[in-house]
Amino acid sequence: MNRKSPAPGKAGVLIACASLFVTMAPAVAHHSFAAEFDIDRPLKLRGVVTEMEWVNPHSWIHIDVKGADGKVVSWMVEGGSPNALLRLGFNKSSLPAGSEVVVAGFQARDGSNRAVGQSVAFADGRKLFLGGSAPGARGDSDK
Amino acid sequence: MNVALKLVTLAAVSISFGTVAFSQAPASKPAAISRTPDGHPDLQGIWTSASVVPLERPAGLKGKEFFTEKEAAENEKRVLGMSSWERLGSQAPEHYNMSQYGLDLSQAKVASTLRTSLIIGPDGRIPPLTEEAKKRNAERSARNRGHQFDGPENRPLQERCLIYYSEGPPMLPAAYNSNLQIVQEPNRVAILQEMIHSARIIPTDGTPHLPPGVRQWMGDSRGHWEGDALVIDTTNFTDKTAFFGSTAGLHLTERFTRVDQDTIVYEFTAEDPATWIRPWTAQIRLVKIDGPLFEFACHEGNQGVANTLSGARAKEKAAAEAAKQISK
Repeated sequence: MNRKSPAPGKAGVLIACASLFVTMAPAVAHHSFAAEFDIDRPLKLRGVVTEMEWVNPHSWIHIDVKGADGKVVSWMVEGGSPNALLRLGFNKSSLPAGSEVVVAGFQARDGSNRAVGQSVAFADGRKLFLGGSAPGARGDSDK
Repeated sequence: MNVALKLVTLAAVSISFGTVAFSQAPASKPAAISRTPDGHPDLQGIWTSASVVPLERPAGLKGKEFFTEKEAAENEKRVLGMSSWERLGSQAPEHYNMSQYGLDLSQAKVASTLRTSLIIGPDGRIPPLTEEAKKRNAERSARNRGHQFDGPENRPLQERCLIYYSEGPPMLPAAYNSNLQIVQEPNRVAILQEMIHSARIIPTDGTPHLPPGVRQWMGDSRGHWEGDALVIDTTNFTDKTAFFGSTAGLHLTERFTRVDQDTIVYEFTAEDPATWIRPWTAQIRLVKIDGPLFEFACHEGNQGVANTLSGARAKEKAAAEAAKQISK
């Protein structure tokens, strides 16, 4: 590994810090999606939820996907930060283990079984969370 | 200037769902705002800085600092109708549906404004860089080229969960969760940001700044009251948190003015002669929201750095193998 070589490493720190503010427009989330996930590897997964991690900066939904050969493969799917979901009234029991879900998203660049969930729906087509329609959405609950 | 008139007349504008009109100009005497026992305006509560106007004025609105009421309403409707990815100018297809997770701007409370940009004044843009700053930035870029993915230290601070671009100081609206809490005591004020967890504890008791040799990531802030405005002066930055390319010599002045029960006008002026040819000022309207703030222990689930670096390693490996094939 060459990342311990001091010269470029140090220079890199400087620009990384500078770019914190200089490159604000692409900073939609706290990290670069394009660096992490591959837009050329779209996927659709149907699986059973084994766990939803309510962690920041992003939630992660763990699902078991049964392949055509009957073999079960575990996937991790990145979602939005849980804070807004909590604010919309969802909580830890909102996506129980055993729920069948369909994920449309993009696979990790390193080819591992991780993906970002562009859209996550229950097996009957209803979208998870339905952000925006829960009480308190748009901050109007204090009006 | 007829700014005050414009601000006052906006109160008459009918507003769309989820937004809060402002009822008076910051300069006018607030009708009825809460005060702390020591007589200062009470800034306490939970607020959002979510905004329908960008930091810098779009090119198409050059020379136009304020919308008419009709234009402001149209702009608000247009911006709230956009997806977050569209609004933030992403070229790529959306990686996840922000709306599904409750993260779209249309799902937040937003202050109405006649401003066309957060930056005030005729230009509405960050002033040009000095020659020195241009040289400095070019040298940094040259040194960094090809090393952006070497290791975690090369990744941006927010990706490493160290500090988020919107936390500041100065504070800016974030892409989502632009929420903050202000707690006030007679001798200090605390500002807690939901994203990504920083708290500033600012003395207002007249104690002087830290010695110049002590540099801090969020600088060293000292507050005082000028009439009903809380004014915070921040110096002693490091070069690790460059604000739009600024140096450790950045000097910030922030002003908080509570203009009504629902609104604080937050204004900051950034000054760094080594970076910009002149100081610049932005104004953001903070709107009161329901609590609570939620903990954002960013590093708890931060898979982003590892995934990004392993993605880069995979790409390098694929490139090396492709090169080997060619050379055969």
